Amino acid sequence: MNKPSQPRFVRPCTLIWLALVTLTGVTYTIGDAGLGGRNVMLLVLAITLLKSQMIAGYFMGLRKTSLLWRAIMGGYLIVVGGMIAIAYLMGIN
Amino acid sequence: MNTQSLTIDAHEPGTPPGDLAIWFFIFAELLAFGVFFGSYAFARAHHVELFNQSQQLLNRASGAINALVLITSSYFVVRAVAAIKQGLSRQCANWLGAAIALGGVFIVIKLFEFHAKFSAGISLSTNTFYMFYLSLTIFHFMHVILGMVILAFVMAKARSGGYSIEHHTGVETGASYWHMVDLVWVILFPLVYVIR
Repeated sequence: MNKPSQPRFVRPCTLIWLALVTLTGVTYTIGDAGLGGRNVMLLVLAITLLKSQMIAGYFMGLRKTSLLWRAIMGGYLIVVGGMIAIAYLMGIN
Repeated sequence: MNTQSLTIDAHEPGTPPGDLAIWFFIFAELLAFGVFFGSYAFARAHHVELFNQSQQLLNRASGAINALVLITSSYFVVRAVAAIKQGLSRQCANWLGAAIALGGVFIVIKLFEFHAKFSAGISLSTNTFYMFYLSLTIFHFMHVILGMVILAFVMAKARSGGYSIEHHTGVETGASYWHMVDLVWVILFPLVYVIR
């Protein structure tokens, strides 16, 4: 009897893993260079939210769920990211 | 009546993989970490210099390595789910074993980091930054341990042939929790170690 073939999510998840590793390297490099300021914060935050969405969508499999589940996770990330950005800007002022 | 539907673990279309209950748990955990992240960010707004100076003393490399370790561990768990969907119990258990081993690497690196801080006389009461740094990372550390325990139970059941192509909700449930642990560190690392 033939074994079922490899599920189709493996290949995209492998590419996502590579992207996550690369983006983590970018975040570390920014930190190691001691870069700061509003624009750097927004870049790091954008990378973080992109990585989070990749994990939620592909690894956790939420991209194939109903709008409600995706909205809960997306809303969570937007609120957390928004809080971090607003608090950072408060610190500048 | 279709008896097949009574014997196969198929989650409702549109719902996330694994037991639905774990998802309520996952979102409760994310909410708790979200409050922690917000508290850290707003506390920083009132002590920017203190946070920036204290952050410089953190071992950013170990934080980044731990991010890579958890991301890779999470990917191994994806492969474990893929294996059981092919009916490959042994491969599933092996991938889970590799994921747990990386969880162990995370724990060891973190223990070295904690030891360095405690040896330098740093504690929760040193300053506001370290209060947040230690409580946030220790809280996450405990979640890593819980995740490893869950994965170990799933691995043991997979190794004994307790899951199959038709019945593997347990694998997806454990996987979902582990991905949450990974997701939290993906936010925690830049917030505490990088943003300044």
